[in-house]
Amino acid sequence: MVDTPKVAVLFGFGINCDHETKAVFDLVGGQATRVHVNHFINGNHSLDEFHILAVPGGFSFGDHLGSGRLLGNRMRFALRDQLHAFVAAGKPIIGICNGFQVLVKTGLLPGPAAGQDPLPDFVQRASLTLNDSGRYEDRWVTLEFDSNSPCIWTKGITRIDCPVRHGEGKFVLPDNTDFDMLAANNQLTVRYVDPATENGEGITDELLPFPLSPNGSMRNIAGVCDSTGLVFGLMPHPEAVYAKWLHPDHTRDTAPGPESSGVLGEWEGEGLQIFRNAVDYAKANL
Amino acid sequence: MAVIRVEVTPKQGEGMRDVRGDSLRRQLLSDHAVSATEVRSIVGFLIKSDISEEEIAKRSDDLFTDPIIETGFTNTLAMSNSDIFPTAPDCVITIGFKPGVTDNPGKAALDGFHTIFPQATDAEISTYITYAFYGLPSDCDGQWLAGTIYNGLIQRALVSDSVACAAGTWPEIEFPERPPQVFTTPETINLEISDAELEELSYSGLLALNLEEMQTIQGHYRDEETRNLREAIGISPDAPTDVELECLAQTWSEHCKHKIFASKIHHVDTETGEDTTIDSIFKTHIMDPTHDMQKDVDWLLSVFHDNSGVIAWDDDWSICMKAETHNSPSALDPYGGAMTGIVGVNRDILGTGLGARPIANTDVFCFGPPDWEGDLPDNLFHPSRVLRGVHAGVRVGGNESGIPTVNGAIVFDDRYIGKPLVYCGTIGIMPRRLADGRESHIKTPTSGDMVYMVGGRVGYDGIHGATFSSLELTEESPSSAVQIGDPITQKKMIDMILEARDSGLITCITDNGAGGLSSSIGEMAEYTNGCEIDLAKVPLKQAGLSAWEILVSESQERMTVAVKEEDRAAFDALAALHEVEATPVATFTSTGIFHVKYNEMTVAYLPIEFLHDGVPQLQLESEWKSPQLESFSVPEHSDHNELLLRMLARPNITSKETWVRQYDHEVIAQTVIKPFVGVERDGPGDAGLIAPIHGNPHGIVVSCGIAPRYSDIDAGAMAAASIDEAVRNAVCVGVDVDKIAGLDNFCWPDPIESAKTPDGRFKLAQLVRANRELERVCRAYRLPCVSGKDSMKNDYGSGEGKISIPPTLLFSLFGDHPDVRYTATSDLKGAGERLYLVGTSKQELGASEIAFMLKESGEAGGIGGEVPQLLDPESQLDTYRALSKTIQSGLVRTAHDCSEGGIAVAVAEMCIGGRCGANIDIDGTGSGDIWGRMWGESLGRIVIGVSAGNEADFVEAMAGHSITLLGISTVGNTLSITDGYDELVELPVEQLVTSWQGTLDLTGGVA
Repeated sequence: MVDTPKVAVLFGFGINCDHETKAVFDLVGGQATRVHVNHFINGNHSLDEFHILAVPGGFSFGDHLGSGRLLGNRMRFALRDQLHAFVAAGKPIIGICNGFQVLVKTGLLPGPAAGQDPLPDFVQRASLTLNDSGRYEDRWVTLEFDSNSPCIWTKGITRIDCPVRHGEGKFVLPDNTDFDMLAANNQLTVRYVDPATENGEGITDELLPFPLSPNGSMRNIAGVCDSTGLVFGLMPHPEAVYAKWLHPDHTRDTAPGPESSGVLGEWEGEGLQIFRNAVDYAKANL
Repeated sequence: MAVIRVEVTPKQGEGMRDVRGDSLRRQLLSDHAVSATEVRSIVGFLIKSDISEEEIAKRSDDLFTDPIIETGFTNTLAMSNSDIFPTAPDCVITIGFKPGVTDNPGKAALDGFHTIFPQATDAEISTYITYAFYGLPSDCDGQWLAGTIYNGLIQRALVSDSVACAAGTWPEIEFPERPPQVFTTPETINLEISDAELEELSYSGLLALNLEEMQTIQGHYRDEETRNLREAIGISPDAPTDVELECLAQTWSEHCKHKIFASKIHHVDTETGEDTTIDSIFKTHIMDPTHDMQKDVDWLLSVFHDNSGVIAWDDDWSICMKAETHNSPSALDPYGGAMTGIVGVNRDILGTGLGARPIANTDVFCFGPPDWEGDLPDNLFHPSRVLRGVHAGVRVGGNESGIPTVNGAIVFDDRYIGKPLVYCGTIGIMPRRLADGRESHIKTPTSGDMVYMVGGRVGYDGIHGATFSSLELTEESPSSAVQIGDPITQKKMIDMILEARDSGLITCITDNGAGGLSSSIGEMAEYTNGCEIDLAKVPLKQAGLSAWEILVSESQERMTVAVKEEDRAAFDALAALHEVEATPVATFTSTGIFHVKYNEMTVAYLPIEFLHDGVPQLQLESEWKSPQLESFSVPEHSDHNELLLRMLARPNITSKETWVRQYDHEVIAQTVIKPFVGVERDGPGDAGLIAPIHGNPHGIVVSCGIAPRYSDIDAGAMAAASIDEAVRNAVCVGVDVDKIAGLDNFCWPDPIESAKTPDGRFKLAQLVRANRELERVCRAYRLPCVSGKDSMKNDYGSGEGKISIPPTLLFSLFGDHPDVRYTATSDLKGAGERLYLVGTSKQELGASEIAFMLKESGEAGGIGGEVPQLLDPESQLDTYRALSKTIQSGLVRTAHDCSEGGIAVAVAEMCIGGRCGANIDIDGTGSGDIWGRMWGESLGRIVIGVSAGNEADFVEAMAGHSITLLGISTVGNTLSITDGYDELVELPVEQLVTSWQGTLDLTGGVA
């Protein structure tokens, strides 16, 4: 049992959400450290010193040659054994935005199909490509979560608002049966939904129009997990709504938040629960 | 080494599409009304290495091709594959870089190549893009088409026209080999020549020095003592080397020395009879007032002398801000010029004190009309292309650096066709004290410290930027002055330097911008009074650069950092960790000399004092006479419904959302008020508000004001309006008006009378009046200017076709916000809000947006008349303070600045943001007629909304200040404006939305 889970927040090479990603883990009882990728590659640090790994958003290597590709390669070639051991040890990993792209390009997401050896095999099975609009955009979206997902990060969360900030967020798989397999195992963890739908009833496979789905993602997918539920990635930025004052409706007094008072009193934002889930999971299981 | 070609094209079908090609298709439709049925894209890589074709082909899917979404080809052209491209297109265009131009995808590809082939240390990679066009109109010329998408200054284009396409002949671009540079030994320049020859030397060498300055340099080398010292060190005793002359030209350039703001001005006002001399408008009107204010407050930590102005924000943190312009480079290459603008000003923040962290950007652009149909002078781009390019450059520079763009503006006027203005600002934050106890806003270099160049390398790109920007734009403007930024190299450098700062390794830091090493090391050398540089140690992008080129090149992404000898190992280790190049190139000394060597040879030996203080003061003539303009007279019959819809669609008023939304405005998770607000997140935000310390609601307000068209009547009024607008916007979100600081960025046409500029006296008088108003208003508002910049040669051409920009002041403001939980936005918050006008409308329609609109349409004769004036700024400040407090206390949640388009536009925008109607009555809001009260742009006005329950408290809090009840927000979705019993406007809110959002949506549709 660990009291204060240690969280490694990667940075370097153009990752740029490292400060706020560290902050949200600290707010919910983790002890987060920004660690340069090269510290793990050079052996100055080892992943096994940590309980949780976060790959934050950013523009690693400028997203040239495809978002997340080059950082994904560095990790795939140099951190293969450490990442394998990390998941084998039952430790959670999250990738947000560029971090999600990195996890997809390394093959950590969606990972081996359910029923097979669930540990990372570093085979790329999906991709994130240019938004149908052709534009990078920062806009707020509404997300809904699959309540049956094995994902340890999203337990108990139904719906949140948060911003997307990307130009390459369209999730694609080479064929429909791949989707069906992920769906059957509830790995299509989070989708873009129409905020006008009832809470809990927003998820649909039918493509939503822009801007409800900001990127044309297949089946409106915003994020997926691996078959263990430990590794989770999503394009939107839940860390960007850690406080209600960051929600665009806060001057209208209608910014949503948790029902019970959180770490910021009545000002806790909806996004923080994702990070609290992982910290609580680590406390209970590691 | 062989060159291997890899091409990659997106897969099509089953939900996969070629988005890059499709974006270009929509852009052609939107900008040129050229309709293609389909455009497809291919990305190409030319890899020069010892790795074989087979090995590269085998690993292509690991690096160049994403096998899920793309198809790759090695050493074969994608176009020649008939499975992927079954039918011949009408035109194929390949665009690659010219030799030596920054190729960021190529750099990234090389990094990835080294991950897979670490042995390929000498490899080089160049990238290109190919577009295949289908279904083009038959009269669409391939060369013309290429001209719309590539820039010949920095790129090459190859075209296969329809005939070539039918024959299956595709463009095959080659690796851009750099022509070899020849190192030339420093030459000695003979200055014992005639005055005419001195002027010719300055002109032909792009030195941008005037005769008196050339003579001053000549005089230096005639000095006996100078000659003896130079003889002793072994450098030409009686004549400068080319290195010295270039170094002096950079250091003494208008760009670096602000000679016009420092000049002695003989000012005559033909109307008042005033005849005075002003010894430096900078010192008199900007610096002195700020220094006076510094005596009264304890939070002005560092003003004017550093790369940005620093104020104390709380006990633990200080904040700083800087804004720059990048006009000339953006005119030549909008994308690269603007990108270097934003990443350049980020470095000003990084170079402040011992290093501040950039946390927010602001962008303000001035362009020609995007729908311009008139003639364009040679060598100038169409305004829509400038807009696209500048926007893309700033977007990529800001987004990839992870710095949110929180505030900005886009202004349109015909005269910006000659020179677009690209203002880029950045706010930074740093801990008040470092772990070792040093105050972070104070640089602490000592003689003996090593001086590192950190970040990018020095290349032929970026030579003569500072001197070039001190000249007017011509057809022959040099391409070497244009660069493309590399945000990722800079981001790595920022990460590294902030760690070095926190470890206490930095004693002094500044950025390498204009003037390159000659400026950065030269300026830092003032602290210890001397330095010794070895140019042979400077890492180069390509061998063969001459000494003077290394010294003055403005190659991007470089900082100059001083480190104590004992800290070098730790500094080197940090650089290695972050994969940032850091090379010691100089040492601080106390010799009084800027001493430059190339290996053992001394190539420049200039006294620090002469270098920095030797430039003679300019003596300039200024004469004011009010411009004679035809007055704005209102049309006899007008439909205010129609006028409002037309006004909302004006480029200066319309929504810029499709552009602004492409900036990341929320990275760092601190942005409380976004650029667009309201129910549908599409109403205008007045000011940026950030809470940068996570978990803490203490905030920073960022706003700006700009009103260039008022200069047509009086540049003084223009300046006052800009400052008031910045303050007003900040008040709208609840700034603490007792802790605000400003930045003045002047962009002017050349104000020095000459054959090229016969109206120089008038333009200088405009500058004098603007600065006098700046001082008057800033003193009254207790608003210190902590940093600023001027760009004084914003003209195109000369003689008949000369285009001069309207004199333009951008006033940026940053200030304290006590608690971001209590703030206001412009959107109406639902039915029943009581709407008040704070302030009073006067009959001030001169140079207003409505006047310009009706003049352009022929419905009015002119734009002249009463321009808005700020008569009593002292009491205005009291009103702002009272209003801001009602926002800070939570009484008021709705507030919107009233500027272009007056009350009518302000209220319409509030309805748009709230998707909510309103009934307002403009009777009693001021002394003017209907037009003045409806459309006038009087300063000091804000429209607020307050709930019925808070109304009494609000009225009480505003006692003694001018407030007028305008009306109420309504359940119905209609905006109704009356003047007493006269109905002026009755429009559905959805119609307002449509008018407001259409004009600048140049996206050609979503998909």
